[in-house]
Amino acid sequence: MLRLEKIIAAATFAGLAATALMGPALAAEKATKDRLPLVVIDKNPYPSTYQAFPSVTTVITNATVLDGAGEQLDGASILMENGKIVAVGTELEIPYGTLVIDGSGKWVTPGIIDVHSHLGVYASPGHKSLSDGNEATKPVTADVWAEHSIWPQDPGFSRAIAGGVTSLQILPGSANLIGGRGITVKNVPSRTRQGMKFPGAPYGLKMACGENPKRVYGKKGGPSTRMANMAGYRKAWIKARDYKDKWDSYTRKYKAGEDVAAPSQDLELDTLMGVLNGEILIHNHCYRADEMVSMMTMAHEFNYTISTFHHAVESYKIADILAKENVCSAMWSDWWGFKLEAFDGVDENIPMVAKAGACAIVHSDDPNGIQRLNQEAAKAWADGRKVGLDFTKAEAFTWLTLNAAKALGIDDQTGSLEAGKMADVVIWSGDPFSVYSLAEKVFIDGALLYDREDPGTHWQSDFELGHNLKGAHQ
Amino acid sequence: MRKSLMNLITTTLVGASVVFSMGTTTALAETLAITGGTVHTLGKKGTLTNATILIEDGKIRAIGQNIRIPAGAEVIDARGRIVVPGSMHSGSRLGLSEISLTEDSNEHSAKKSPFTAAFDVRRGLKSNSIVIPDNRRQGLTHAITQPSGSDGIFSGSGAVISLTGTADMIYGKGPMIANPSKAGNRNIAWAKMRLIFDQVKYYDRNRSAIQQGKGPGDFLLTTYNMAALVPVLKGKQKLVVLVDSEDDIRQAIALKKDYDLDLIISGAVEAWRVAAELVAAKVPVIINPQANLPGSFGQVAATFRNAALLEEAGVEFAISPGGMAANHNAFMVNQMAGLAVAHGLDWSRALEAITLSPARIFGIDNSFGSLEKGKIANIVLWDGDPLEVTSNVSHVIVRGVNHPLVSRRTMLRDRYLDLNKKPYAYH
Repeated sequence: MLRLEKIIAAATFAGLAATALMGPALAAEKATKDRLPLVVIDKNPYPSTYQAFPSVTTVITNATVLDGAGEQLDGASILMENGKIVAVGTELEIPYGTLVIDGSGKWVTPGIIDVHSHLGVYASPGHKSLSDGNEATKPVTADVWAEHSIWPQDPGFSRAIAGGVTSLQILPGSANLIGGRGITVKNVPSRTRQGMKFPGAPYGLKMACGENPKRVYGKKGGPSTRMANMAGYRKAWIKARDYKDKWDSYTRKYKAGEDVAAPSQDLELDTLMGVLNGEILIHNHCYRADEMVSMMTMAHEFNYTISTFHHAVESYKIADILAKENVCSAMWSDWWGFKLEAFDGVDENIPMVAKAGACAIVHSDDPNGIQRLNQEAAKAWADGRKVGLDFTKAEAFTWLTLNAAKALGIDDQTGSLEAGKMADVVIWSGDPFSVYSLAEKVFIDGALLYDREDPGTHWQSDFELGHNLKGAHQ
Repeated sequence: MRKSLMNLITTTLVGASVVFSMGTTTALAETLAITGGTVHTLGKKGTLTNATILIEDGKIRAIGQNIRIPAGAEVIDARGRIVVPGSMHSGSRLGLSEISLTEDSNEHSAKKSPFTAAFDVRRGLKSNSIVIPDNRRQGLTHAITQPSGSDGIFSGSGAVISLTGTADMIYGKGPMIANPSKAGNRNIAWAKMRLIFDQVKYYDRNRSAIQQGKGPGDFLLTTYNMAALVPVLKGKQKLVVLVDSEDDIRQAIALKKDYDLDLIISGAVEAWRVAAELVAAKVPVIINPQANLPGSFGQVAATFRNAALLEEAGVEFAISPGGMAANHNAFMVNQMAGLAVAHGLDWSRALEAITLSPARIFGIDNSFGSLEKGKIANIVLWDGDPLEVTSNVSHVIVRGVNHPLVSRRTMLRDRYLDLNKKPYAYH
């Protein structure tokens, strides 16, 4: 996956001298004597300042391990050191001084990754003043970034970690055809937004099919139909293609020694160009099979890729096509019927998609649901078995971990228990496919960020101070 | 495996029974015997193993061991199954909404109408709702279905329904619903409710004079909306008040005392903070165990442990999720009961909180809520723990009828289970 940080670091460091001239959003390469510097758009002006919390070398022994990549290991141990997973297996060498946690009777999994959350942008309490998820003022707002709405004091984050969630993508809402950038964060307490940002994670771009944009803009100048939805996206991509051509041409000519002026920067088109350049991943709210196929065809028209359809209640109808196109579906286990485009939701959607070989993900889109994503996966797993769609629990757990990490472009860093990956790990009181099992301990980059038995580890957001006793919510 | 199962579903169920069960005709209850299961009766007989339940004319005729099964009875082999009373939702919109965000399939609201208390959901119930068989196949057999709101505090009356999916699904009138948050603020709400109740009492005493135009003309409600509240003030209709905060719960308790109401509190996110007062006032509550977020300033003490703490204090409570889980996903009452167990509630109390407790709370426990002789045969067979998310329903009996586990959604699933079969629309 693309490492935004490295690219930007090079650009911004060299560009300090030019900043005053070009404006703060632009950086430039070092100017030569008689030429203006090459203008390069800073792709990461709000970089992650996340730092792993302090950790000690820890081993969890003799647990039932679901590795998040589809395998189950019984009686296995997992060693974490310096924030990374060092080894997983039945015969590990344990360094002297390692903290040993007896995992007997426990289940261990990677931290759950929710690819669809609005924590922080639709925070609790649910007041208008905290309603920052939908810039419902025009149908294309590719210029807005969800990270600039996040309230890190949303009490929902602390609830989510008690459900075993270690990373999540926070997205703008679905009012708009193109709603703006989503951001992947580590689920850690932080004073700042940047302090939560998942280092190196690519940006997402939220798009929305169907009813929502129609409903919001039907009487506000459109789109009022699905055909106008499509027209709206396509017009935006045409502009983005022109914008990309301008910048590519400028850069090419500059490097060839020509005396050319840089195009002016456009925030909206920066984001769309990022998609066309393969740097920003499309996360597309889309329910209906026919619309999903149109969206994939449009991606071919403009030569970009779609990471994931979100909600995707009709993915089961086109699971073979989704597999062929290599597009993920992020789904609920059993939500349906709240609007016409959700009328055809079936309980077996997730296992049907997985059986076709397509990438299946369980998502929440909900501050309650995010606290029990393991149960939602369990329901889908059981519903699948009922009709002969058999998966092991280890396979089904990929719907919450590695597949979600792939969708977010962070699968080289987290999402499975493999040596070298971030030690994002959950110890469950028992089988996570049971309603009675709870996350007991949650590690993020090897640091124990949540321990059910130790109230000292239970976060309490600033908002909750004085309202409730620490940890009383659980 | 997959193929044979599909064939079974397609041929035996879709072909024969679905049309029947989804239609508006009344399914005939025949003699039915459930044999060999582990039966949680929720009644005096406790949990029975290898028991027989005999069902005739929609009711439980006998339950226990050594029960003679009449010749010709349909026998359901429940060996290896867990048999429980059907689950009940205590505040649903079943039969009142096909799809939430559509203009023409929602009958639950009195908004933009002259009705508040006089709104009654029984005339708008859709017997062949798509939503009902889908909840039924997942173990929900009866429910309170109730109005969502009006332009006033009183939303109107709900109904008690069995999930037969037939025109005669109504068991009876349900509770009156009051939503104080509609008033603007809490001071207005409680003052207004008291004033309305005083005026209703006055209206009831002077009804003929008022109807002849001889009474004062400044009532807060119209006469027909006041008339609808008379049964509430006579203790003949239960009043469900939707409040969450501990202070509002106290106000509701005070209202009950002053007006001698048959009160139920629904929502009750902070009920654990006033548990002793609820016990003393004998006020039951309906809670949603997943509510652990401070969704508003009236919910700041929200906790997963609400159910366990209420149980510990001796408060009578039922479990029912709201929002989407009040209609399309109303069957989630079982998962929510399991969630409460995960957070400290005793398992058998959790099962009771979705069966016998709500029946008791709504005063219908003579007919619903337990597997006892004479009660309506709303019975569910599970392949495992009924509160566990990986368990599946194997049989659902509603008013004595063994319904196929088929809904429009299972038919959609079956149509697309094998994508190599085309064209899909001809399956």
